[in-house]
Amino acid sequence: MAEDSGLAKLPQATVVPGKRFRVSIVWAIPVLAAVVAIGIAVQRILSEGPTITVVFRSAEGLEAGKSFIKYKDVNIGQVTAVQLASDYSQVEIKAKIAKSAAGLMVEDARFWVVRPRIALTGVSGLGTLLSGNYIGFASGKSDQPRRSFTGLEVPPIVTGGLPGRQFLLRAETLGSLGIGSPIYYRRLPVGEVVAYDLAADGKNVDIKVFVQSPYDKYVNPGTRFWNASGIDVSLNANGFDVRTESLAALVAGGLAFDTPVFAPTAAPAAADTAFTLYSTRAVAMKQPETVARHYVLYFNETVRGLSIGAPVTLFGMPVGEVTDVGLSFDPGTLDVHPRVEFTFYPERMVMRLSGRQELAAQALAESSEQKRHAVLRRLVEERGLRAQLKSGSLITGQLYVAFNFYPNAPRAKIDWNRDAPVLPSVESLIPDLEAKLPEIVDKINKLPLQAIAEDLKKNLETLDQTLKSANKLVSHVDADVVPELKGTLEEARRAMAAAERVMKGAESTLVGPNAPTQQELRDTLQEVSRTARSLRVLTDYLERHPDSLIRGKSEQKFGRQ
Amino acid sequence: MNGSALTAAQAGLVSCETCDLLSRAATPAQPGHCPRCGAPLQSRRHQSIQYTWALVIAAAIFYVPANMLPVLTTNTLGSSESDTIMSGVIYLYTSGSWPLALIVLIASIMIPMGKIVALAYLLITVQRGSIKNNRDRSRLYRLVELIGRWSMLDVFVDTFVVALVQLEPLMSVQPGPGVLFFMSVVVLTMLAAQSFDPRLIWDAGRRRQVGHG
Repeated sequence: MAEDSGLAKLPQATVVPGKRFRVSIVWAIPVLAAVVAIGIAVQRILSEGPTITVVFRSAEGLEAGKSFIKYKDVNIGQVTAVQLASDYSQVEIKAKIAKSAAGLMVEDARFWVVRPRIALTGVSGLGTLLSGNYIGFASGKSDQPRRSFTGLEVPPIVTGGLPGRQFLLRAETLGSLGIGSPIYYRRLPVGEVVAYDLAADGKNVDIKVFVQSPYDKYVNPGTRFWNASGIDVSLNANGFDVRTESLAALVAGGLAFDTPVFAPTAAPAAADTAFTLYSTRAVAMKQPETVARHYVLYFNETVRGLSIGAPVTLFGMPVGEVTDVGLSFDPGTLDVHPRVEFTFYPERMVMRLSGRQELAAQALAESSEQKRHAVLRRLVEERGLRAQLKSGSLITGQLYVAFNFYPNAPRAKIDWNRDAPVLPSVESLIPDLEAKLPEIVDKINKLPLQAIAEDLKKNLETLDQTLKSANKLVSHVDADVVPELKGTLEEARRAMAAAERVMKGAESTLVGPNAPTQQELRDTLQEVSRTARSLRVLTDYLERHPDSLIRGKSEQKFGRQ
Repeated sequence: MNGSALTAAQAGLVSCETCDLLSRAATPAQPGHCPRCGAPLQSRRHQSIQYTWALVIAAAIFYVPANMLPVLTTNTLGSSESDTIMSGVIYLYTSGSWPLALIVLIASIMIPMGKIVALAYLLITVQRGSIKNNRDRSRLYRLVELIGRWSMLDVFVDTFVVALVQLEPLMSVQPGPGVLFFMSVVVLTMLAAQSFDPRLIWDAGRRRQVGHG
């Protein structure tokens, strides 16, 4: 009962009216947690953009979770998976697109892998060397949403939003052009080749070009495009012609355009207008001849050096060009003649006339055939209009056809009976070197070589005399001037020797090995050294026999010690 | 021995949790206040099971975003990479340092999960009045309380790295939202372990004994 009494001693607890049991406030914590977690989940789901699939040929440098899709350098998505397509031939890339960019995923959106590229026309994508490759994006214009795309292997040149216009060029061959080849306007790069494809019939190449704003306004329906690739070297009767647009175009190819002066001023061409691509500037800028008349010429001499396209001139002005060079053979008479066909463009001639004459000539060119023929006949028969081969360049031997008046030429008539009228010609004045060679040799033979040689001999003799007198002059100098000079030199040498002696004396007294000063110094030093030696002996002795200071030097007894 | 000893509650006694004074309860339902220090007396912690349940459930809810959201975002020259705890473990494992991966896996994924499960187990057994493995269960409780603080390892490493690696523009590390939830899980489980009253484990045995006897 000791326990009971012990318990009884404990104090009695006080009673405080308690609260009734109810659900604890602590349940607010899990409720709050649930609200937060659900909130985050909902936000995640709501902000989730679409997942797209892009197919590439290779996934070079792309990594799931690390590579981004960028549009105007803004991240609009992230690659979530890089895997092989079901047929193993391509790579499928899945990417999660930000919700804000979901509207961009339309049918004609384009994707490509941005990696460093170094081409002749430029360097791009160097930033990816540090940050890794990413997927570039170009928006499309369509409204149809799409979730799977095929990626481009080469970045597109014109990304959406760049102002300018596209045009279509039709060319025979692609030449050295490629996507990205520049387009020049007055040697200013103003655009690029965007795409090319074989035309549907397989006979042409369709080249799509993009000309940036504001330069696109210089392209009007009369504009000519030509291939500016490489160096355009032409060798013709006009001489040597070299043209190139720029070094880049030289290496990588390029196009150029310009509007010829004769083209009517017109409004800028609409987008996607088709143009012909000419091979060279010369061809492109040539005025289109609306009226062309064909004539034939026969010559009695070689036409070697006369090529198709060679100019036909009238008093030096180009009025036409050679279209064919051939032969004519008459089996009856066995006559063989070179036959030259050419085209005459009256407009070129009219163009070079002045004022009122131009109008008259224009009227004539457009008049009836009979009237024109009558004029031509009178020119040939009364004034002596004749064709003649002329050498355009002595170096290249290129020929051209020149028309001039030869009033003294034998009378001739135009042969109207052929397909094309035959005009008369006269023999050329081109020197035939082979024919002239014996003449030249003959002339050389006739040269007064003997006389020349004699003259030369006389000249040489005179020269000899001149040299002799020069020699005399030199010997005079030798005899009179040189002895004096010699004396002066001797004097100088003596002075030098004296100076040397002085120097030597100074040396022997002061610093020479047997100089007196030196000797004395040496003696003194020897004395000092002797003194030092005896001092050392003294101190040694004192150290051993300190008592000798008092007692004096004791006799050394060698025998006992 | 299990629950056979006389407990203070059985004897109508209650000890003050503040000053440890043992006193007789005013009434068994409402022990009243400590006569010495005036603190409210309770023979068992007030609504212990309810509190613990609430905290354990909150921790379990936060455990999901803690593992789903990134805890670390690394920016390296334009490219940025977000890591959750699990992706960090996988990265460590694939890069060859499996002991480190194991440490992170245990400290950051298994221990918080284990704590939640252990507390839930203790709560369920107490509510069902189980009398089995009473000693083991109290040992489990002590273990849960002990390792609580060590779960902050991940948070510690995270804050450490974020503070150290700020080499703009070459490289920088930003904390992710996951780390906040992870920290919440750890704090909530610690609070839950504290609010659980281990004495309840032994009460069940007594009740059963009373019922039998």
